[in-house]
Amino acid sequence: MADLLVRPRAALADVLRNGRHGASDGAPGLILCERTELSAATLIARKGQARALAELVKSAYGIDLPSTPRFAGNQLPDGRFLVFLWAGFEQWLALIEGAQEFERELTLGLGKRASIADQSDARAVLRLRGPKAREVLAKGIAIDLHPRAFKTGDVALTLAAHIGVQLWQVDETPTYEIAVARSLAKSLWAWLSASAAEYGYEVVGEIR
Amino acid sequence: MLLIDCPFCGKRPELEFRYAGEAHIARPADPSGLGDEAWGRFLYGRGNPRGMHAERWRHLNGCGRFFNALRDTTDDRFAATYKIGEERPMVAEPQGARKA
Repeated sequence: MADLLVRPRAALADVLRNGRHGASDGAPGLILCERTELSAATLIARKGQARALAELVKSAYGIDLPSTPRFAGNQLPDGRFLVFLWAGFEQWLALIEGAQEFERELTLGLGKRASIADQSDARAVLRLRGPKAREVLAKGIAIDLHPRAFKTGDVALTLAAHIGVQLWQVDETPTYEIAVARSLAKSLWAWLSASAAEYGYEVVGEIR
Repeated sequence: MLLIDCPFCGKRPELEFRYAGEAHIARPADPSGLGDEAWGRFLYGRGNPRGMHAERWRHLNGCGRFFNALRDTTDDRFAATYKIGEERPMVAEPQGARKA
């Protein structure tokens, strides 16, 4: 019998090609990468337990669980960066770099106060940075991305090119991250690559 | 584009939302104790006012929550949005309002 070897494969491994694409003159308007190193899990506070959950998260990770569309993160003592993104009323998406068994770890610590479900293989996360990042996104996202309306730390659950996404602004460059259901990642990429082409964009392995 | 103020997410484009019928219609506590007419009124009897209409909306392509809104049916303006379970806010009726 043939050995069945299942290896993790990034959602956009088929379509992302490192290097310069689109318009080739000048500096690229956008630099992007897929964050393939992330583990993800959703948390939904059990009924009436949101406050107790927030206290647990604060004491365990030193993070103030956001109650509005924002995100909050912290570097853990072991060096990993953990972030909680607001994902609806008393719901969050937790992301961490490279944790094995992330869901189990969260369930052990927070499982009494929240329902936790692994999303590591269910979401694709893209990081986008550059002077044209806002313009690229604005072509398919109907919310106002102007800094007066959408700031660093803000999170939105919205549509991008008719695809449900979670979008957040990481810094003022601006850098954005966008999470999408893995099965829709290539559809999102079809739009995103077309939207970015006029400014020129560069695909890289990692953006720090 | 019309912006709708989701009580959870803030102002968002209308295409993220779905209309979900008239608000504040409570299901009778004892349906089997009702006659056909009263049950029919609960199922199908809806206001159709010219003016302020209290209605349910769902932020379907956003946070997913249902909430209530007061919308002026004459010009499609949203006068208020509020969470399920909260009282209907006091809002002035527009000129020419008519209960249906």
